[in-house]
Amino acid sequence: MTENMSISVNGQSQVPPGFRFHPTEEELLHFYLRKKVSFERIDLDVIRDVDLNKLEPWDIQERCKIGTTPQNDWYFFSHKDKKYPTGTRTNRATAAGFWKATGRDKVIYSTGKRIGMRKTLVFYKGRAPHGQKSDWIMHEYRLDDSTSDTSVIKQVSNVMEEEAAQEEGWVVCRIFKKKNLNKTLDTPFSSSPISADTRNQMLSSCDEDTIDQTFHYMGRTCKEENVADNSARYLNYVHHDGFMKLPSLESPNSISSQNCYQPMITESEGSITNQMSCPLDPGLDNWATLDRLFAYQLNGQTETSRQLSCFPIDPTMTYCTPTDLHHDLRLPNLRSSFPLPSNRSYHGTQDYNNEIDLWNFTTRSSPDTLCHLSNTGA
Amino acid sequence: MAANLPPGFRFCPSDEELVVHFLHRKAALLPCHPDVIPDLDLHPYDPWELDGKALSEGKQCYFYSRRTQNRITSNGCWKPMVGHVEEPILASENNKLVGIKKYFIFYAAEGIKTNWIMEEYLLSEHCTSHGSSPSTKSSKTRARSKQDYSKWVICRVYERSCEEEDGGKELSCLDEVFLSLEDLDEISLNGQISSPNS
Repeated sequence: MTENMSISVNGQSQVPPGFRFHPTEEELLHFYLRKKVSFERIDLDVIRDVDLNKLEPWDIQERCKIGTTPQNDWYFFSHKDKKYPTGTRTNRATAAGFWKATGRDKVIYSTGKRIGMRKTLVFYKGRAPHGQKSDWIMHEYRLDDSTSDTSVIKQVSNVMEEEAAQEEGWVVCRIFKKKNLNKTLDTPFSSSPISADTRNQMLSSCDEDTIDQTFHYMGRTCKEENVADNSARYLNYVHHDGFMKLPSLESPNSISSQNCYQPMITESEGSITNQMSCPLDPGLDNWATLDRLFAYQLNGQTETSRQLSCFPIDPTMTYCTPTDLHHDLRLPNLRSSFPLPSNRSYHGTQDYNNEIDLWNFTTRSSPDTLCHLSNTGA
Repeated sequence: MAANLPPGFRFCPSDEELVVHFLHRKAALLPCHPDVIPDLDLHPYDPWELDGKALSEGKQCYFYSRRTQNRITSNGCWKPMVGHVEEPILASENNKLVGIKKYFIFYAAEGIKTNWIMEEYLLSEHCTSHGSSPSTKSSKTRARSKQDYSKWVICRVYERSCEEEDGGKELSCLDEVFLSLEDLDEISLNGQISSPNS
């Protein structure tokens, strides 16, 4: 040892200047969490235990400091407990708010093998369902015991069992504050990180390349996502009849949940699909812009207008475009496998809500819902 | 190098740390702890040769060099990046100017622009004249110290990639999509848009 660089977090010694705790997802899972679950001692108490129900995100910040260096993210172990003795849902409520899962879980690979999953959660202040979304984001990593080649097949058949088993035990978490410079709806054009040029191109061009660029701009991190795998997973949810029926069972709107997937099966090709991605972009801040977009589409492309005429031309349509976009761009071969009819009318907002509900169901499906399902499934 | 640190610790210095801790101490002949940044002459090395010679962390390379106007390597040269003015580095505690950062871009021999970027950190002139140079006993030492002080630079070299990776540090594109969907959801619930009928 030429250089003594050891640190002791609880003993108040410092991390050497210039060094930060920036573990890879693989390090988090393979080194830290694996040691944690096997009760191996971790020499340096870099990642501490946190009771998520007791600490607010801003308190975690204080508790999980590493040395005195400024941090943008904080790491901790958390033990997930069931919300209800009979159920499988995790209780993630604190005194001031609650953590709510968003999106879908991402598979974490290590040298080509699946080693775990990452769940993304957002902190809401207040109580569900009236919580106010905050900028606090949590990535919750769990180890995946089924690191076999059959894991994909497993996803198809055993989604629910797997999800249920994953709602208990140690996880390693990372919290950070979402950067607000992009992806906010109320960002005015002027403060958008997109240049005026790009914006004009977005609005006036159906050129595939430009749109690809736009999409690339939106999703620099797309690369990290294992799209094929995740999408396959998603499709599995869709194909699962039980899931398809879940929302309509308890929804007062009684809209067939199939409707909410309907935009995904439109035969819209690159240009319209991509144009519709624009609302996600921070540059587009109002519905008027959207209307212009649609107007452009209708005037400019007969093909497009034909397709659009299936739907009410309404801005709310765009709610479902991200998934649409996603599948169209990445899984053209899978798209055709949707067994859903394409001639249903589309009610944007409500369906969208259903879709989110569906997501919550799929990620936290409990025996309770299964019960409902079997009772009413006939 | 960082063998004694547990997994997950990486050399990710802030601009301020590079200037205040590493560059200032080097120039002031104070011991650098940890002494991780090697001392290289910039000139002979093409950027792709730095791996293994400089301190590499991820895609970034760090090394000490000297102030020079000659930035010609065997296969090209570093030229100031157009549109990037010198960036002031301020101390976070008192906003005092401690250094400056200059940007360079590597051109291959045929004048072909590459994606290699160099950020060169210098101690500011202000820092040099009013800086807390430790040896101020005699004018002679001061003069020599000042000379030493101003000649060092720290270079950070990396290849700019159009697909920046963050190793899952930020939200994935899909996460963002879902989050913005929830935003839209909230807006519609707040009745800020008309109901969807046509």
